[in-house]
Amino acid sequence: MAKQLAFYYDQSVCTGCKACQVACKDDNDLSSGIIWRRVVEINGGDWIKQGATWGQNIFTYHLSLSCNHCEEGICLEVCPTGAMHKREDGVVLIDEDKCIGCRYCEWACPYEAPQYNDDKGKMSKCDFCYNYIDEGLPPACVAACPMRALDFGELSELQAKYGLVDNIYPMPDPSLTKPAIVITPHADAALAGAEGVSIGNVEEI
Amino acid sequence: MDTRDWALVIFTICAQMAVGSFIILGVVHFFVERKSGLQEADRMSDRALLAIGPVLVLGTLASFLHLGSPINGWRAISNIDSSWLSREILFNVLFMGAGAVFAVMQWRKLSTATIRNAIAVVAALIGVVLVVSMSQVYMIRTVPAWDTVATVLSFFTTTFLLGAMAMGTAYAANYTYMQRKSEPGCGPEGAQCDLLRYALRGLAVASIVLVGVTFVIMPLYMGYLSNDSAATQQSADIIVNDYGVVLGLRLALVFLGAVLLGGFIYRTASDPTRERWMINLAYTAFALVLISEVLGRFLFYASQITSGLG
Amino acid sequence: MEDKGFLSNAVKGVELNRRSFLKWNAALGGAAALATGGLTASQMALKAAAAGAETVVPTSCAHNCGGRCRILVHVQDGVIKRLTTDDRPDTLEDPQLRACQRGRSYRQRVYHTDRLKYPLKRVGKRGDGQYERISWDEAIATVAEAMQRIKDEYGPEAFINHYASGADGMQGAGTSSRLLNLFGGALNEYGSYSAACWEYMLPRVLGTFTTANSRDDWKNSKLIVMFGYNPMEMVGGTNTMYYLKQAKQAGAKVIVIDPRQSMTAVWADEWIPIHPGTDVALIAALAYVMISEGLHDQEFLDTYTSGFDDAHLPEGIPNGNSYKSYVMGDQDDQPKTPEWAEAITGVSRERIVRLARELALTKPAAIYQGWGGQRRAYGEQFVHAGITLAAMTGNIGISGGSAGTGGMTSRYLPTGSLGVPNPIKLAISTFTWTDAIVRGTEMGAADGVEGLADGQETLPYNIKFIYNNAGNALINQHGDINKTKEILADDSLVEFIVTHEQFMTPSAKFSDIILPATTWMETESMTTSWVMGDTVYYMNKVIEPLFECKPDFEICALIADQLGLGDQYRDGKETHEDWIREWTAGLKDVDPTFDFDTFKANGVHVVLYDKPAIGLSEFRADPEANALSTPSGKIEIFCQAKWAADDPVEIPAVASYIPEWEGPQSDLVAQYPLQIQGHHFHARSHSTYDNIEWLRESMPQRLFMNPVDADARGIEDGDKVRIFNDRGEVIIPVRVTKRIMPGVLDLPQGAWYDPDENGIDRAGCINVLTSHHPTPFAKGTSQHTNLVEVEKA
Repeated sequence: MAKQLAFYYDQSVCTGCKACQVACKDDNDLSSGIIWRRVVEINGGDWIKQGATWGQNIFTYHLSLSCNHCEEGICLEVCPTGAMHKREDGVVLIDEDKCIGCRYCEWACPYEAPQYNDDKGKMSKCDFCYNYIDEGLPPACVAACPMRALDFGELSELQAKYGLVDNIYPMPDPSLTKPAIVITPHADAALAGAEGVSIGNVEEI
Repeated sequence: MDTRDWALVIFTICAQMAVGSFIILGVVHFFVERKSGLQEADRMSDRALLAIGPVLVLGTLASFLHLGSPINGWRAISNIDSSWLSREILFNVLFMGAGAVFAVMQWRKLSTATIRNAIAVVAALIGVVLVVSMSQVYMIRTVPAWDTVATVLSFFTTTFLLGAMAMGTAYAANYTYMQRKSEPGCGPEGAQCDLLRYALRGLAVASIVLVGVTFVIMPLYMGYLSNDSAATQQSADIIVNDYGVVLGLRLALVFLGAVLLGGFIYRTASDPTRERWMINLAYTAFALVLISEVLGRFLFYASQITSGLG
Repeated sequence: MEDKGFLSNAVKGVELNRRSFLKWNAALGGAAALATGGLTASQMALKAAAAGAETVVPTSCAHNCGGRCRILVHVQDGVIKRLTTDDRPDTLEDPQLRACQRGRSYRQRVYHTDRLKYPLKRVGKRGDGQYERISWDEAIATVAEAMQRIKDEYGPEAFINHYASGADGMQGAGTSSRLLNLFGGALNEYGSYSAACWEYMLPRVLGTFTTANSRDDWKNSKLIVMFGYNPMEMVGGTNTMYYLKQAKQAGAKVIVIDPRQSMTAVWADEWIPIHPGTDVALIAALAYVMISEGLHDQEFLDTYTSGFDDAHLPEGIPNGNSYKSYVMGDQDDQPKTPEWAEAITGVSRERIVRLARELALTKPAAIYQGWGGQRRAYGEQFVHAGITLAAMTGNIGISGGSAGTGGMTSRYLPTGSLGVPNPIKLAISTFTWTDAIVRGTEMGAADGVEGLADGQETLPYNIKFIYNNAGNALINQHGDINKTKEILADDSLVEFIVTHEQFMTPSAKFSDIILPATTWMETESMTTSWVMGDTVYYMNKVIEPLFECKPDFEICALIADQLGLGDQYRDGKETHEDWIREWTAGLKDVDPTFDFDTFKANGVHVVLYDKPAIGLSEFRADPEANALSTPSGKIEIFCQAKWAADDPVEIPAVASYIPEWEGPQSDLVAQYPLQIQGHHFHARSHSTYDNIEWLRESMPQRLFMNPVDADARGIEDGDKVRIFNDRGEVIIPVRVTKRIMPGVLDLPQGAWYDPDENGIDRAGCINVLTSHHPTPFAKGTSQHTNLVEVEKA
């Protein structure tokens, strides 16, 4: 079986604090508008008037996502230049010399991983901090998480250890791209395609 | 929608109009030749053929404006293996090449008419493949609003509707030019006038049929959007709630331009005394339909919602 | 095909370095050349391309969030490249001290385009923000002259070292406090914006601040109930949420009671929404259920507390004044039943009954009170009620329990500070400083003035000189901004205001002199973890001061020189390191493994304890021998100090629910039907970090509003809305969210006040809407108690 690196995410302990997001931005010098790892807030439930009080079954959970370095990344398929490519360890990278900034991968990716860099006229995205992992160090986001909710490793090993969940709403049907991610779900987490839940922080992601 | 996507609106509209025009030109030429002979047919077509090249070039240039790094644009052809975008560009280049070869041979009357026709047929086929690959570019599995047969159908409707309208306009302009040059056969009873009225009648009928197709596809497509998935519902929401006015305008204009004016064109084209009317109507109809198609294509891009995080 | 060797990494490094440098340089208007030895950008870029090795400097993030987190700063050629956080081994016993998004964004703060670059002198009307550049010599001389003049004309009592929490250690308000105290002293302030009612009530109810179990004890709890406590967003200590995670994994259930589903409530097992300002009513009803069903810990109450029931009231107090009497309605004929509380709190009677049973029957349980509930009208009652509830359930002084307090001290470390004694004994409550400007000479004991000499009725002077050092409470963080502005703009009232700042904050704009201060990355300092007594940080200097900025200590030392106090101020020490060495000298006694040089090199020393600290455990073990320093020697459920205040309506002696002066039961609700509060936002530490792009992007400032209220006003998510009351008006986009109760709004506190030409704030600064109304007993802030109306803008 081919090697495939993956992120592990313990959603059940994530607080949604965004230390991962900002650590990533600092490490990669990302200007405003370019977010390689984002934290989505998902809300569900309702307020129900009950006599003098309001009853409620409101629930909220967070989802921290970067590029999932998919096994069948649609970005790899649609990229017209071959700039989007996969390393032997499964990490998906953008070769800046080849990228022409056509933004096709941006349309295609269901995780909003490729982010257009206006200054360069090229796409950019999470590169799994390959410069660190090649030296045996963790990616910036993993090292940053105050709740120790993020980790990384070989996909098959993570799956053996933590299971096969890779389809928490608002993630799409995983068969589209086969994301290399393993999630320990939050107690209230809805699955891909669920009704009655919505993203609560659209402007932040 | 990103402002740069306007470049894609221009590119796809222009490229499809060029393909449609080329095919319509061939079809009209075929019928006109049978009606009045090769010479009259060439008189009618050769200048009209002039219009197609610049439109295609304009569209291709526009497509470069969509790129963040246009300098490296040539690289876009590197992934024929899996990227429909690469294939689209390849067929765009091939169509341009085949069309140019045909045009030069046609104007210079090189080789024989049969060979020229054969090259035209090849160029037209490449054009069809170009429109198919354009559809395939958008029919990606992660964008359910685009990943439907409606994309192909609407691209081809655009191709032939704009092709018909553009060629009608080109014939009318060519005819007016010949009139000003006092060329033979351009009076009310002349052969060219007769052919122009003949062509416009045919094109008017074709346009009305194509708009009919559009009006059949539209409700079915909107029904699909409203019911398929959260992503398509978002797309429907954008079309109806954010751009309802644009949608209304787009439908009104295409109805006005192609159906209403198409009907008038048909009637005036059947009456030799109303030549100016017919010509002006052809121009107006083309302008309205072009605006409508641009608005429609704008909506197409504006309603882009990717599955998942969209 | 991917060359992942050393070379490509080096190239990537150089590219990033050059790009970031050029970006910063552009952002700093070329001034970085100043900071980097006068090299031009292109010279710097060349130098960076030939860059030497990256060095890593350990320091700590240190703002007023309660967290103290390890930051490793990666520097190349004097330019900060990036930050990482703690890289020591991560174990349960000694977890890494990982920084939150705020600390991780610090590079943008240091290199912010808006950094103040040189000393400024006011040239327009005070508050207009018109300044011109002056030299350091002129700035220092101006401040020193004003100090001398005002001291001669009035006296040291006319001085105040303004409440400021922007920095600590060798930086911030401590440096100017030292200066003023050496110069003759200043009017003292007691209490804080954060915890005025806690600080006032704890000595009077528990006799000590050291009441908390350390956080590593949470894992011994079976149930953790938090009244508005929100460590996830506020932080309140490095790893606080991580310790809660351990507790949850050990089987604790976490319940959060809060008007909004805070990020802590999101994370908890259960969220119970409650109308703001009604926690005391909820607690009374919980007590009612426990008493009615005999679930309370009578034995604990009899042994350790005073005044729970009439049988245990202090001598001379008439029956009917105990907490039990209050709960059962002996005097007011209103038993505090779940039905009664439901109408007030919005928590259903069924849930109240269930919570009462859960709390009484789950042992041990930790009742944890956040501080937001006491930054309200009658905040003293909130504080008192939490302790009462902890006592009724017998959870005080045991592992897995809590004293019903929150964020309080569990251990101290013996470290020094810049502090010197203040010759002036007079003190006002922090929150009343605006009063002391306008009518200080009328303020006496009834206004909370402490330290009055015999025969002294009032303060001798109004406040005439404000030293505002690393603080934004002059305008931004104090109540009723429009009123505060009026007071400060009149320079016949406060005659001189000097500010140390890094940015032109709303408060800085009301200063006569602004002195550009370094951030903690440009100087050496020391800081300690709050209330945990477990971590000390050596904050190494990372880069040279930018522009003409100077460290706070240096600034004050220069002023001291001018006043002839330089030697006293410097105390014979040459460097910051000398001070830190002295401050940490006692640590060896607590922890023999402490070594100063290692401490400096690592930037951190963690004191490892073999077991958690349990607040009040000595008292629990032997209440006679270890009696509390309260009048009764016990936990004062009946508080004799409150009784002595002789104001049974506003300062009842037992924890009683009093409807707020601006709340659903007030007449004002007809005009302004919505309650608004301003929680501690995770994108800021109070107002620090408000101008950081990465954080504005991650968590933009919004009004949080329930869909029920939004629909009633035709408001949709993302709309700009007007929030207004008689005190002011704010226009800001709204986030329509189910995460807040109907009838309640939340505007995260700390956004930098930004008035347009009509005086309408456009930044979303809640203090445009808050008041100067102090709490009755502690004279603390009530800034969360406000009514407003909202319309689509």
